[in-house]
Amino acid sequence: MMHSILKQAGTQATEPASAGKPSMTSSIDQTAPDQGDSQTDLQLVRKVRNGDRAAFDLLVLKYQSRVASIISRYVFDSHEVMDLTQETFVKAFRAIDRFRGDSAFYTWLYRIAVNTAKNYLEARSRRPLGSADSADAENYDDGQRLRDIASPEKLLQRDQLQQALNKAIDALPEELRSAFLLREYDGLSYEDIARILECPIGTVRSRIFRARDAVDRHLGPLLNHSASN
Amino acid sequence: MDDRLRETLSAMMDDEADELAVRRLLSFSDQDEVRGQWQRWQHIHDLMHGTGAAADSVSPAADVSAGVWQRLDGGAPTSEHNAIRATSRQRWHWPAVAMIAMALVVGFGAGSGWQSAGEPELIAAPASTEPNAAATVASVSEVSLQGLDDRQRQQIHRYLLEHAQHNSVGAGRGSVGYARLVSADAGGY
Repeated sequence: MMHSILKQAGTQATEPASAGKPSMTSSIDQTAPDQGDSQTDLQLVRKVRNGDRAAFDLLVLKYQSRVASIISRYVFDSHEVMDLTQETFVKAFRAIDRFRGDSAFYTWLYRIAVNTAKNYLEARSRRPLGSADSADAENYDDGQRLRDIASPEKLLQRDQLQQALNKAIDALPEELRSAFLLREYDGLSYEDIARILECPIGTVRSRIFRARDAVDRHLGPLLNHSASN
Repeated sequence: MDDRLRETLSAMMDDEADELAVRRLLSFSDQDEVRGQWQRWQHIHDLMHGTGAAADSVSPAADVSAGVWQRLDGGAPTSEHNAIRATSRQRWHWPAVAMIAMALVVGFGAGSGWQSAGEPELIAAPASTEPNAAATVASVSEVSLQGLDDRQRQQIHRYLLEHAQHNSVGAGRGSVGYARLVSADAGGY
Protein backbone atom coordinates (compact mmCIF):
# COMPACT_ATOMS: atom_id res chain seq x y z
CA MET A 1 0.00 0.00 0.00
CA MET A 2 2.68 2.45 1.06
CA HIS A 3 4.79 1.63 -1.93
CA SER A 4 1.92 2.05 -4.33
CA ILE A 5 1.29 5.52 -2.94
CA LEU A 6 4.89 6.45 -3.51
CA LYS A 7 4.82 5.15 -7.04
CA GLN A 8 1.77 7.29 -7.62
CA ALA A 9 3.76 10.22 -6.32
CA GLY A 10 6.43 9.56 -8.91
CA THR A 11 9.15 8.18 -6.70
CA GLN A 12 10.30 4.91 -5.27
CA ALA A 13 10.16 3.92 -1.67
CA THR A 14 13.34 3.28 0.21
CA GLU A 15 13.34 0.09 2.24
CA PRO A 16 13.26 0.77 5.96
CA ALA A 17 16.47 0.01 7.80
CA SER A 18 16.88 -3.62 8.63
CA ALA A 19 15.72 -4.47 12.09
CA GLY A 20 17.85 -7.62 12.21
CA LYS A 21 20.89 -7.79 14.38
CA PRO A 22 23.99 -8.30 12.23
CA SER A 23 26.72 -10.56 13.45
CA MET A 24 29.59 -8.91 15.22
CA THR A 25 32.35 -8.48 12.68
CA SER A 26 35.06 -5.92 12.18
CA SER A 27 33.12 -4.48 9.27
CA ILE A 28 30.61 -2.88 11.60
CA ASP A 29 33.16 -0.21 12.40
CA GLN A 30 33.06 0.89 8.81
CA THR A 31 29.32 1.35 8.66
CA ALA A 32 29.52 5.08 9.03
CA PRO A 33 26.19 6.76 9.41
CA ASP A 34 24.85 8.36 6.29
CA GLN A 35 23.31 11.46 7.80
CA GLY A 36 23.32 14.84 6.20
CA ASP A 37 24.22 17.90 8.20
CA SER A 38 21.23 18.64 10.33
CA GLN A 39 20.72 22.33 10.92
CA THR A 40 18.31 21.51 13.71
CA ASP A 41 20.99 19.47 15.46
CA LEU A 42 23.49 22.30 15.16
CA GLN A 43 20.95 24.73 16.54
CA LEU A 44 20.25 22.41 19.44
CA VAL A 45 23.97 21.91 20.08
CA ARG A 46 24.44 25.67 20.26
CA LYS A 47 21.61 25.84 22.77
CA VAL A 48 23.16 23.04 24.84
CA ARG A 49 26.45 24.93 24.93
CA ASN A 50 24.56 27.88 26.33
CA GLY A 51 23.29 25.66 29.12
CA ASP A 52 19.90 24.71 27.69
CA ARG A 53 19.13 21.27 29.04
CA ALA A 54 15.84 21.02 27.18
CA ALA A 55 17.78 21.19 23.93
CA PHE A 56 19.95 18.26 24.97
CA ASP A 57 16.82 16.33 25.96
CA LEU A 58 15.54 16.71 22.42
CA LEU A 59 18.83 15.39 21.03
CA VAL A 60 18.70 12.41 23.39
CA LEU A 61 15.12 11.62 22.44
CA LYS A 62 15.97 11.94 18.78
CA TYR A 63 18.97 9.66 18.79
CA GLN A 64 18.53 7.26 21.71
CA SER A 65 17.15 4.45 19.56
CA ARG A 66 19.84 4.83 16.94
CA VAL A 67 22.58 4.92 19.56
CA ALA A 68 21.11 1.84 21.24
CA SER A 69 20.96 0.17 17.87
CA ILE A 70 24.69 0.82 17.29
CA ILE A 71 25.63 -0.46 20.73
CA SER A 72 23.47 -3.56 20.36
CA ARG A 73 25.73 -4.65 17.49
CA TYR A 74 28.50 -5.05 20.05
CA VAL A 75 26.68 -5.84 23.26
CA PHE A 76 23.85 -8.33 23.46
CA ASP A 77 22.54 -7.77 26.93
CA SER A 78 19.63 -5.35 26.99
CA HIS A 79 20.51 -3.83 30.38
CA GLU A 80 24.06 -3.21 29.23
CA VAL A 81 22.76 -1.62 26.03
CA MET A 82 20.64 0.77 28.07
CA ASP A 83 23.55 1.48 30.39
CA LEU A 84 26.00 2.16 27.55
CA THR A 85 23.44 4.27 25.69
CA GLN A 86 23.18 6.51 28.72
CA GLU A 87 26.96 6.56 29.05
CA THR A 88 27.28 7.62 25.41
CA PHE A 89 25.03 10.62 25.97
CA VAL A 90 26.80 11.52 29.20
CA LYS A 91 30.12 11.55 27.32
CA ALA A 92 28.57 13.55 24.49
CA PHE A 93 27.21 16.14 26.90
CA ARG A 94 30.55 16.50 28.65
CA ALA A 95 32.41 16.83 25.35
CA ILE A 96 29.86 19.02 23.57
CA ASP A 97 32.24 21.99 23.59
CA ARG A 98 34.71 19.91 21.58
CA PHE A 99 32.16 19.20 18.85
CA ARG A 100 33.45 21.44 16.08
CA GLY A 101 30.70 20.78 13.59
CA ASP A 102 33.13 19.38 10.97
CA SER A 103 30.86 16.37 10.72
CA ALA A 104 27.17 15.91 11.41
CA PHE A 105 26.25 15.68 15.07
CA TYR A 106 25.02 12.13 14.57
CA THR A 107 28.34 11.07 13.02
CA TRP A 108 30.13 12.47 16.07
CA LEU A 109 27.69 10.73 18.40
CA TYR A 110 28.08 7.50 16.44
CA ARG A 111 31.84 7.51 17.08
CA ILE A 112 31.30 8.06 20.79
CA ALA A 113 28.81 5.17 20.87
CA VAL A 114 31.19 2.81 19.07
CA ASN A 115 34.10 3.75 21.34
CA THR A 116 31.94 3.37 24.43
CA ALA A 117 30.87 -0.11 23.35
CA LYS A 118 34.44 -1.10 22.43
CA ASN A 119 35.84 0.19 25.71
CA TYR A 120 33.20 -1.76 27.55
CA LEU A 121 34.06 -4.98 25.70
CA GLU A 122 37.77 -4.40 26.25
CA ALA A 123 37.29 -3.82 29.96
CA ARG A 124 35.14 -6.91 30.21
CA SER A 125 37.68 -9.07 28.41
CA ARG A 126 40.35 -7.94 30.84
CA ARG A 127 38.26 -9.12 33.74
CA PRO A 128 39.43 -12.51 34.97
CA LEU A 129 36.98 -15.31 34.27
CA GLY A 130 36.89 -16.21 37.94
CA SER A 131 35.50 -12.82 38.82
CA ALA A 132 32.25 -13.29 36.91
CA ASP A 133 29.43 -13.58 39.36
CA SER A 134 26.17 -15.42 38.92
CA ALA A 135 24.39 -12.39 37.53
CA ASP A 136 27.01 -12.10 34.77
CA ALA A 137 27.17 -15.80 34.11
CA GLU A 138 23.45 -15.82 33.40
CA ASN A 139 24.08 -13.52 30.48
CA TYR A 140 26.70 -15.66 28.77
CA ASP A 141 25.89 -17.89 25.85
CA ASP A 142 28.54 -20.43 24.86
CA GLY A 143 30.94 -18.44 26.98
CA GLN A 144 31.23 -15.80 24.30
CA ARG A 145 28.14 -13.83 23.59
CA LEU A 146 25.74 -12.22 25.92
CA ARG A 147 22.23 -13.48 25.59
CA ASP A 148 19.70 -11.43 23.67
CA ILE A 149 16.86 -11.15 26.12
CA ALA A 150 14.23 -9.51 23.97
CA SER A 151 11.14 -10.96 25.59
CA PRO A 152 8.24 -12.48 23.62
CA GLU A 153 6.00 -9.79 25.14
CA LYS A 154 8.20 -7.09 23.70
CA LEU A 155 8.25 -8.75 20.31
CA LEU A 156 4.46 -9.00 20.38
CA GLN A 157 4.14 -5.39 21.43
CA ARG A 158 6.44 -4.34 18.61
CA ASP A 159 4.36 -6.29 16.07
CA GLN A 160 1.15 -4.74 17.38
CA LEU A 161 2.63 -1.27 17.10
CA GLN A 162 3.86 -1.96 13.58
CA GLN A 163 0.42 -3.18 12.49
CA ALA A 164 -1.29 -0.21 14.09
CA LEU A 165 1.17 2.10 12.38
CA ASN A 166 0.46 0.58 8.97
CA LYS A 167 -3.28 0.92 9.56
CA ALA A 168 -2.90 4.52 10.67
CA ILE A 169 -0.91 5.37 7.56
CA ASP A 170 -3.41 3.60 5.32
CA ALA A 171 -6.22 5.56 6.91
CA LEU A 172 -4.61 8.91 6.09
CA PRO A 173 -6.15 11.02 3.34
CA GLU A 174 -4.25 10.65 0.10
CA GLU A 175 -2.59 14.10 0.08
CA LEU A 176 -1.37 13.75 3.66
CA ARG A 177 -0.08 10.22 3.13
CA SER A 178 1.90 11.12 0.00
CA ALA A 179 3.64 14.07 1.64
CA PHE A 180 4.32 12.11 4.83
CA LEU A 181 5.78 9.05 3.09
CA LEU A 182 7.89 11.08 0.70
CA ARG A 183 9.39 12.75 3.71
CA GLU A 184 9.76 9.72 5.99
CA TYR A 185 10.84 7.01 3.57
CA ASP A 186 12.57 9.02 0.88
CA GLY A 187 13.91 11.77 3.08
CA LEU A 188 12.97 14.41 0.54
CA SER A 189 13.09 18.06 1.51
CA TYR A 190 9.87 20.07 1.73
CA GLU A 191 10.94 21.89 -1.40
CA ASP A 192 11.30 18.65 -3.40
CA ILE A 193 8.01 17.31 -2.09
CA ALA A 194 6.32 20.56 -3.04
CA ARG A 195 7.70 20.19 -6.57
CA ILE A 196 6.51 16.58 -6.84
CA LEU A 197 3.07 17.25 -5.39
CA GLU A 198 2.79 20.59 -7.15
CA CYS A 199 1.80 22.59 -4.12
CA PRO A 200 3.38 25.34 -1.97
CA ILE A 201 6.00 24.46 0.63
CA GLY A 202 3.73 25.74 3.40
CA THR A 203 1.11 23.21 2.31
CA VAL A 204 3.67 20.39 2.45
CA ARG A 205 4.69 21.47 5.92
CA SER A 206 1.10 21.56 7.06
CA ARG A 207 0.24 18.19 5.48
CA ILE A 208 3.17 16.44 7.07
CA PHE A 209 2.28 17.89 10.44
CA ARG A 210 -1.35 16.80 10.10
CA ALA A 211 -0.30 13.33 9.00
CA ARG A 212 2.01 12.98 12.00
CA ASP A 213 -0.68 14.23 14.31
CA ALA A 214 -3.23 11.76 12.93
CA VAL A 215 -0.83 8.81 13.22
CA ASP A 216 0.08 9.89 16.74
CA ARG A 217 -3.58 10.05 17.77
CA HIS A 218 -4.18 6.64 16.19
CA LEU A 219 -1.24 5.07 18.01
CA GLY A 220 -1.63 7.11 21.21
CA PRO A 221 -2.82 4.39 23.61
CA LEU A 222 -0.32 1.86 22.26
CA LEU A 223 2.56 4.33 22.51
CA ASN A 224 1.60 5.16 26.09
CA HIS A 225 1.40 1.47 26.93
CA SER A 226 4.81 0.93 25.37
CA ALA A 227 6.26 3.81 27.36
CA SER A 228 4.93 2.47 30.63
CA ASN A 229 6.62 -0.92 30.10
CA MET B 1 0.93 24.04 22.78
CA ASP B 2 -1.08 25.37 19.86
CA ASP B 3 -1.13 23.87 16.38
CA ARG B 4 1.26 26.47 15.03
CA LEU B 5 3.91 25.54 17.54
CA ARG B 6 3.31 21.84 16.96
CA GLU B 7 3.68 22.37 13.24
CA THR B 8 6.99 24.08 13.97
CA LEU B 9 8.03 21.05 16.04
CA SER B 10 7.07 18.79 13.14
CA ALA B 11 9.17 20.91 10.79
CA MET B 12 12.02 20.71 13.29
CA MET B 13 11.88 16.94 13.08
CA ASP B 14 12.38 17.25 9.35
CA ASP B 15 15.18 19.76 9.72
CA GLU B 16 13.02 22.39 8.09
CA ALA B 17 12.65 24.82 10.99
CA ASP B 18 14.67 28.01 11.19
CA GLU B 19 16.65 29.09 14.23
CA LEU B 20 14.01 31.52 15.38
CA ALA B 21 11.41 28.76 15.41
CA VAL B 22 13.70 26.49 17.41
CA ARG B 23 14.31 29.28 19.88
CA ARG B 24 10.57 29.90 20.18
CA LEU B 25 9.96 26.22 20.86
CA LEU B 26 12.67 25.93 23.47
CA SER B 27 11.40 29.01 25.25
CA PHE B 28 7.87 27.65 25.40
CA SER B 29 6.79 27.49 29.02
CA ASP B 30 5.59 23.87 29.09
CA GLN B 31 8.71 21.98 28.00
CA ASP B 32 7.22 18.69 29.18
CA GLU B 33 4.57 19.01 26.52
CA VAL B 34 7.17 19.80 23.85
CA ARG B 35 9.26 16.89 25.01
CA GLY B 36 6.30 14.49 25.09
CA GLN B 37 5.18 15.42 21.59
CA TRP B 38 8.73 15.20 20.24
CA GLN B 39 9.20 11.80 21.90
CA ARG B 40 6.01 10.36 20.41
CA TRP B 41 6.86 11.58 16.91
CA GLN B 42 10.39 10.25 17.22
CA HIS B 43 8.89 6.95 18.33
CA ILE B 44 6.74 6.83 15.20
CA HIS B 45 9.75 7.78 13.07
CA ASP B 46 11.82 5.01 14.65
CA LEU B 47 9.03 2.50 14.14
CA MET B 48 8.81 3.43 10.48
CA HIS B 49 12.53 2.96 10.06
CA GLY B 50 12.83 -0.13 12.25
CA THR B 51 15.46 1.52 14.42
CA GLY B 52 13.87 0.59 17.71
CA ALA B 53 13.63 -3.06 16.79
CA ALA B 54 17.38 -3.58 16.72
CA ALA B 55 17.68 -2.28 20.23
CA ASP B 56 14.57 -3.56 21.89
CA SER B 57 15.99 -2.84 25.31
CA VAL B 58 15.95 0.87 24.61
CA SER B 59 12.60 1.37 22.99
CA PRO B 60 12.00 4.83 21.58
CA ALA B 61 9.71 5.42 24.54
CA ALA B 62 12.43 4.64 27.08
CA ASP B 63 13.44 7.60 29.18
CA VAL B 64 17.16 7.56 28.54
CA SER B 65 17.51 11.24 29.29
CA ALA B 66 16.36 10.82 32.90
CA GLY B 67 19.23 8.39 33.46
CA VAL B 68 21.63 10.68 31.65
CA TRP B 69 20.75 13.66 33.85
CA GLN B 70 20.91 11.51 36.93
CA ARG B 71 24.46 10.54 36.03
CA LEU B 72 25.46 14.05 35.08
CA ASP B 73 24.05 15.45 38.30
CA GLY B 74 25.96 12.88 40.29
CA GLY B 75 23.05 10.61 41.11
CA ALA B 76 23.12 6.84 41.12
CA PRO B 77 22.76 4.99 37.82
CA THR B 78 19.15 4.17 37.06
CA SER B 79 19.15 0.88 35.26
CA GLU B 80 18.49 -2.27 37.18
CA HIS B 81 21.64 -3.84 35.83
CA ASN B 82 23.68 -0.95 37.11
CA ALA B 83 22.37 -1.70 40.56
CA ILE B 84 23.36 -5.33 40.10
CA ARG B 85 26.79 -4.30 38.89
CA ALA B 86 27.18 -1.88 41.78
CA THR B 87 26.25 -4.65 44.21
CA SER B 88 28.74 -7.04 42.67
CA ARG B 89 31.38 -4.33 42.73
CA GLN B 90 30.62 -3.71 46.39
CA ARG B 91 31.11 -7.38 47.08
CA TRP B 92 34.67 -7.02 45.80
CA HIS B 93 35.18 -3.66 47.41
CA TRP B 94 34.64 -4.74 51.00
CA PRO B 95 37.63 -7.11 51.12
CA ALA B 96 39.70 -4.45 49.40
CA VAL B 97 38.61 -1.85 51.93
CA ALA B 98 39.39 -4.27 54.76
CA MET B 99 42.86 -4.88 53.32
CA ILE B 100 43.53 -1.15 53.00
CA ALA B 101 42.31 -0.60 56.56
CA MET B 102 44.63 -3.37 57.75
CA ALA B 103 47.53 -1.83 55.84
CA LEU B 104 46.76 1.54 57.41
CA VAL B 105 46.71 0.09 60.90
CA VAL B 106 50.04 -1.63 60.26
CA GLY B 107 51.39 1.53 58.64
CA PHE B 108 50.10 3.54 61.56
CA GLY B 109 52.05 1.36 63.95
CA ALA B 110 55.18 1.69 61.87
CA GLY B 111 54.60 5.41 61.44
CA SER B 112 54.35 6.00 65.14
CA GLY B 113 58.08 5.37 65.27
CA TRP B 114 58.55 8.53 63.26
CA GLN B 115 59.03 11.43 65.62
CA SER B 116 59.20 15.14 65.27
CA ALA B 117 62.04 16.78 67.12
CA GLY B 118 59.76 19.56 68.25
CA GLU B 119 56.91 17.94 70.18
CA PRO B 120 57.67 14.36 71.15
CA GLU B 121 55.25 14.59 74.04
CA LEU B 122 52.31 14.93 71.66
CA ILE B 123 52.75 11.51 70.08
CA ALA B 124 50.57 8.94 71.68
CA ALA B 125 51.53 5.32 72.07
CA PRO B 126 50.48 3.26 68.99
CA ALA B 127 48.36 0.85 70.95
CA SER B 128 46.25 3.52 72.54
CA THR B 129 46.16 6.05 69.73
CA GLU B 130 43.45 4.51 67.58
CA PRO B 131 40.60 4.56 70.07
CA ASN B 132 41.75 7.93 71.36
CA ALA B 133 41.84 9.33 67.86
CA ALA B 134 38.39 7.98 67.13
CA ALA B 135 37.05 9.54 70.30
CA THR B 136 38.77 12.80 69.48
CA VAL B 137 37.42 12.88 65.92
CA ALA B 138 33.95 12.62 67.38
CA SER B 139 34.56 15.61 69.56
CA VAL B 140 36.44 17.74 67.03
CA SER B 141 33.27 19.39 65.77
CA GLU B 142 32.73 20.82 69.23
CA VAL B 143 36.15 22.47 69.44
CA SER B 144 35.93 26.17 68.82
CA LEU B 145 38.96 27.94 67.39
CA GLN B 146 37.74 31.23 68.73
CA GLY B 147 39.17 32.36 71.99
CA LEU B 148 42.54 30.64 71.54
CA ASP B 149 45.52 32.42 72.98
CA ASP B 150 48.67 33.20 70.97
CA ARG B 151 50.54 30.17 72.22
CA GLN B 152 47.70 27.87 71.18
CA ARG B 153 47.40 29.52 67.76
CA GLN B 154 51.14 29.17 67.16
CA GLN B 155 50.95 25.56 68.19
CA ILE B 156 48.11 24.75 65.85
CA HIS B 157 49.82 26.59 62.97
CA ARG B 158 52.98 24.63 63.61
CA TYR B 159 51.07 21.37 63.51
CA LEU B 160 49.17 22.27 60.38
CA LEU B 161 52.43 23.19 58.67
CA GLU B 162 54.05 20.01 59.85
CA HIS B 163 51.06 18.02 58.69
CA ALA B 164 51.25 19.54 55.20
CA GLN B 165 55.01 19.01 54.98
CA HIS B 166 54.69 15.46 56.12
CA ASN B 167 51.98 14.72 53.56
CA SER B 168 54.00 16.23 50.74
CA VAL B 169 57.14 14.26 51.64
CA GLY B 170 55.83 10.93 52.84
CA ALA B 171 53.48 9.56 50.21
CA GLY B 172 51.27 6.89 51.69
CA ARG B 173 51.97 8.08 55.20
CA GLY B 174 49.58 10.98 55.17
CA SER B 175 47.26 9.32 57.62
CA VAL B 176 49.99 9.31 60.25
CA GLY B 177 50.36 13.05 59.95
CA TYR B 178 46.61 13.47 60.26
CA ALA B 179 46.50 11.26 63.29
CA ARG B 180 49.25 13.32 64.87
CA LEU B 181 47.22 16.46 64.33
CA VAL B 182 44.19 14.89 65.92
CA SER B 183 46.33 13.79 68.84
CA ALA B 184 47.67 17.28 69.14
CA ASP B 185 44.14 18.63 69.34
CA ALA B 186 43.25 16.15 71.99
CA GLY B 187 46.31 16.78 74.05
CA GLY B 188 46.45 20.55 73.75
CA TYR B 189 42.83 21.49 74.14
